[in-house]
Amino acid sequence: MQFGIFSVGDVTTDPLTRHTPDDTERVRNMLTIAKHADEVGLDVFATGEHHNPPFVPSSPTTMLGYLAGVTKHITLSTATTLITTNDPVRLAEEYAMLQVISDGRMDLMLGRGNTGPVYPWFGKDIRQGINLAVENYALLRRLWTEDVVDWSGKFRTPLQGFTSTPRPLDGVPPFVWHASIRSPEIAEQAAYYGDGFLHNAIFWPMEHTAAMVNYYRQRFEHYGHGRADQAIVGLGGQVFVRHDSQKAWDEFLPYFNEAPVYGHGPSMEEFTRDTPLTVGSPQQVIDRYGAFWEQVGHYQRQLFLVDHAGLPLKTVLEQIDLLAGEIVPALRHEAELRRPADVPSDPPSHAELVAAARAAGQVHEQQVAAGDHWTGKTAEDDIDAADEVTA
Amino acid sequence: MSTRSIVVISAGVSQPSSTRLLADRLAEATVTALADLGQQSQVTVVEVRELAHDVVNMTLTGFAAAPLAAAQQAIADADGVIAVTPVYTAGPAGLFKSFVDVLGTDALTGTPVLLGATGGTARHSLVPEVAIRPLFTYLHADVVPTSVFAATDDWADEGGDDVKPLPSRITRAATELAERVARRPTTARPGLYDAVPDFSELLGGA
Ligand SMILES: Cc1cc2nc3c(=O)[nH]c(=O)nc-3n(C[C@H](O)[C@H](O)[C@H](O)COP(=O)(O)O)c2cc1C
Repeated sequence: MQFGIFSVGDVTTDPLTRHTPDDTERVRNMLTIAKHADEVGLDVFATGEHHNPPFVPSSPTTMLGYLAGVTKHITLSTATTLITTNDPVRLAEEYAMLQVISDGRMDLMLGRGNTGPVYPWFGKDIRQGINLAVENYALLRRLWTEDVVDWSGKFRTPLQGFTSTPRPLDGVPPFVWHASIRSPEIAEQAAYYGDGFLHNAIFWPMEHTAAMVNYYRQRFEHYGHGRADQAIVGLGGQVFVRHDSQKAWDEFLPYFNEAPVYGHGPSMEEFTRDTPLTVGSPQQVIDRYGAFWEQVGHYQRQLFLVDHAGLPLKTVLEQIDLLAGEIVPALRHEAELRRPADVPSDPPSHAELVAAARAAGQVHEQQVAAGDHWTGKTAEDDIDAADEVTA
Repeated sequence: MSTRSIVVISAGVSQPSSTRLLADRLAEATVTALADLGQQSQVTVVEVRELAHDVVNMTLTGFAAAPLAAAQQAIADADGVIAVTPVYTAGPAGLFKSFVDVLGTDALTGTPVLLGATGGTARHSLVPEVAIRPLFTYLHADVVPTSVFAATDDWADEGGDDVKPLPSRITRAATELAERVARRPTTARPGLYDAVPDFSELLGGA
């Protein structure tokens, strides 16, 4: 089972010191956090994608591409990549590039985003959210698996004879997760393609999460990708840990009370009772997170939110140390003991995807060295060529 | 014929609450009217006061704590709803509005709803019509034509030449609700997962 961290990249004033990082400091902190997570042996770092303050991570593949160069083992991912408002052509290109640069040490998680105005800002209609996710992903897959794509749909200009480059590493597209909190259609989409499904449970009671995950599992089996218990599931989570649980509680409380997302709402008692937020000792986290499988089955990836609400960098790095040093080894050990042999422990790695594709005879070209029909000295030089493809 | 479920939403805060008193009278009258139509019914009361903090929390966080979630489920599954609020400052109590705000836009679609309100002065009798009915119309509820406003004086009034006394207004409104409930099929409402189109349908529609 994989354990990692995910960041929304919020710029929040530390309620104790009143320090507010500027955007540059926050971006650099994210890089430090990711590198540290790699050094201490966490499995995954995932960055959010946001297009409005107070969030800084607008450009995931730039960040992850850099991290690919300075980390060794950690899987680089997103939480989430906006499938609705990004051009699927750019997604195909950028994430294939990241896949090549990271030598397959990446995957990505698609989501519809949680900020309404991003749709109009990027020229999209929010009422088409689900339809955008469906059409864009269908095109994204084709761009990765087919060398030359002719396509037309509702939400972008048609493509004739389009090849997305670089071609995916070893001819096999990156592994994709779909994340949703409330939309069964997205669970359905993940199941249809046999992709992973992540429920970001951090603001939701576990019963709700379990219902959504188990729906995805049934549909995964329905579409013939394996048994329901073999589907690839991830959960979001949230912890604050100190060896002394009272100290954890006292230290985190002012951050909780002022946090932009839940501050001035439910009390920390209520929130820790009703959602997966756990504030306490390593053993308390192990007990709580080590029991989620009873509701959702054996799952492959647990992500923790640890770097938000204005927590100082030093504290965040200590949280990562506690996770990697004490919590994750115990949780992983327990997960391995109870996992049925024919249920995957982890989401598929690049090597496993390549092996599976070879076995199924589905490896695509890694290079499509056709002649260049397009490049002229100026765009106008190529009006003939352009006419040919649009004809 | 299965037992019909009537959910009462009562948003009064005093103890004892005149809003609750009106709500109970409306519920009793509805049960009686349904019995006259040959239907059994069961009443569940949601006291908004008890859920007040959960309502505010849901407004802030987007999710319902278990007691609020249970109330919302009961309302979504109800065959008929009686919603009663005190009038505060010439409108429905803010707490009542907040409760309705977090119900969700599909919770009451097609559900017969009877509106009631209490107030200190009869001068605010039209509050249910001008300030509460639109909320439920927006939610596509099937709001009955008669809503019941009870001002303090109504509890002792026998009605005048032009005004029917409170009990007869209650009976009239409850009968309208009962008729609508009785006409409704008893089939359960679809859950979150029942209405999901097969993915090939979604693909085709994209
Ligand atoms: C803040 C507040 C504002 C009120 N404003 C009005 C009003 O504008 N019109 C009115 O008729 N009664 C008004 N009232 C009186 C209440 O509607 C009345 O006390 C109500 O019936 C109490 O219901 P309960 O006993 O169920 O709590 C107001 C009461 C409060 C507390």
